[in-house]
Amino acid sequence: MEDIKKAIIEFAESSKKTKFYFKDLEKAVQKTLPDVKARQIKKAATELINEGKLIYFSTGSTTMYGLKGRGVTEDH
Amino acid sequence: MAFEPREPQKELKYDELRIYTDEELNNYTEEELKNFKIKHDIPDVEELEKGPWPSFVADAKREALHRQKLPEDRMMIARECVEDLLGQLQLSFDDGETHWKHGGIVGVFGYGGGVIGRYSDVPEKYPSIAHFHTMRVNQPASKFYNTDYLRSICDLWEYRGSGLMNMHGSTGDIIFLGTFTEQLEPIFYELTHVLQQDLGGSGSNLRTPSCCVGRARCEWACFDTQDMCYELTHYYQDELHRPAFPYKFKFKFDGCPNCCVASIARADMSFIGTWRDEIRIDQEAVQAYINGEIAPNGGAHAGKDWGKFDIQKEVIDLCPTKCMRMEDGKLVIDNKECTRCMHCINVMPQALRPGTDTGVSILFGAKAPILEGAQMSMLTIPFMKVEPPYDNVKELIEKVWDWWMEEGKNRERLGELIQRYGVPKFLEVIEVPPMPQMVKEPRSNPYIFWKEEDVPGGWQRDIKDYRAKHKR
Repeated sequence: MEDIKKAIIEFAESSKKTKFYFKDLEKAVQKTLPDVKARQIKKAATELINEGKLIYFSTGSTTMYGLKGRGVTEDH
Repeated sequence: MAFEPREPQKELKYDELRIYTDEELNNYTEEELKNFKIKHDIPDVEELEKGPWPSFVADAKREALHRQKLPEDRMMIARECVEDLLGQLQLSFDDGETHWKHGGIVGVFGYGGGVIGRYSDVPEKYPSIAHFHTMRVNQPASKFYNTDYLRSICDLWEYRGSGLMNMHGSTGDIIFLGTFTEQLEPIFYELTHVLQQDLGGSGSNLRTPSCCVGRARCEWACFDTQDMCYELTHYYQDELHRPAFPYKFKFKFDGCPNCCVASIARADMSFIGTWRDEIRIDQEAVQAYINGEIAPNGGAHAGKDWGKFDIQKEVIDLCPTKCMRMEDGKLVIDNKECTRCMHCINVMPQALRPGTDTGVSILFGAKAPILEGAQMSMLTIPFMKVEPPYDNVKELIEKVWDWWMEEGKNRERLGELIQRYGVPKFLEVIEVPPMPQMVKEPRSNPYIFWKEEDVPGGWQRDIKDYRAKHKR
């Protein structure tokens, strides 16, 4: 689980984008950890959300993930 | 079957939960309303009040006046928010474009859905709606609630939000319209801890499941829609609140093919009650309809004299598969041709009833217009028995989700994925054999292809053996 969380954070920090679809996270994690399934990645992402490291960004119809403090902030 | 809640339910008493007194709730007269002018000039918005239907503008003005007369310390967001909302709408009409900024990081802790961020892009002009977030409240199954519950949530929203709400959104949720970010957590706490009420789904989540009134009040319900909706809502809490799908996903449960929650038009996975035996016929009641002793259509359309009931014209000739006829004064139905349109049952409910061997038909892939226009869902599983704990249904749901999560593109609904890959692939994923009814136009849509392993002898043949019987 820690490996997956690390891979997510590394991807989120290095990407040019500040918001990611779940699929982007999934592909990035599977690049370094090819055997990991989507459900495990979701669990890791949820833990990161609960730890306050990741945040959800929602348009209402679609939800994306972002790194806390990067890109849009809570006020905008 | 009696309702068995997952956790003990406490009885909500409005008298214990209320925030406002009766005087505060009824704080203006109709005379005051007539003379009331909001602080912005809104001629085009007011045009909307002149149509034949009740207008949201008239409702919003009532709320604006109500808030104007409440003491300042009885509301947590600015009293002018409703007036500013109407003002900004007029500005949008003037400019021909929206002034809402869409989306954001707002949400309640740990949830990826249920709150939809809205911000004004002219906040200096309309400061009270600088934030105007929407919250979705997961409605109880079939929208059954009592007035204690309704009055309690209305008080909560008056106090911590704009007081404006939709009853209900198209997914079925109660929609709270407009509050500031700092109010979200207190509202969520009150909803969950005091009112035992969860938020609904939004974003790339399982959306709030919704069901028709079902067996609670309808004799046509072929399965317990409320129970199935409640069970699946609880079972899939993680999918409802923590988004990991490519896009939205909707379940809807209709007890019979009348489809009162429009599952066939809106749900990625529609459950529609049906029967696999025969329509029950009471021949005496059929005669009573023919003789005019029972009003057709349950007495609806009674405002006009439509003449004597004519079973041939009003029922038999309208059957889409022509599977009904009168024989020796008796109504006969060729049940294997019945397409479950419900027309005959709707017209003569005392004479005809659905069969008794009931279950669901499962359809996939509906959506409202987005990419390629509106799409109805496709009948994929004609009949499945459904009994708690619905393990057969859950197994199917998970097969579909695994495929869609793996293959679906970002923002691609299940119906669009099925179109992109073709129906045979989808049928293979859910392990259902194809049916002739799935082929819309055999010559232009021959989507059922044989695979080598399905053909005796495969693709190989002995050409000499063939030529022995067939000359070149």
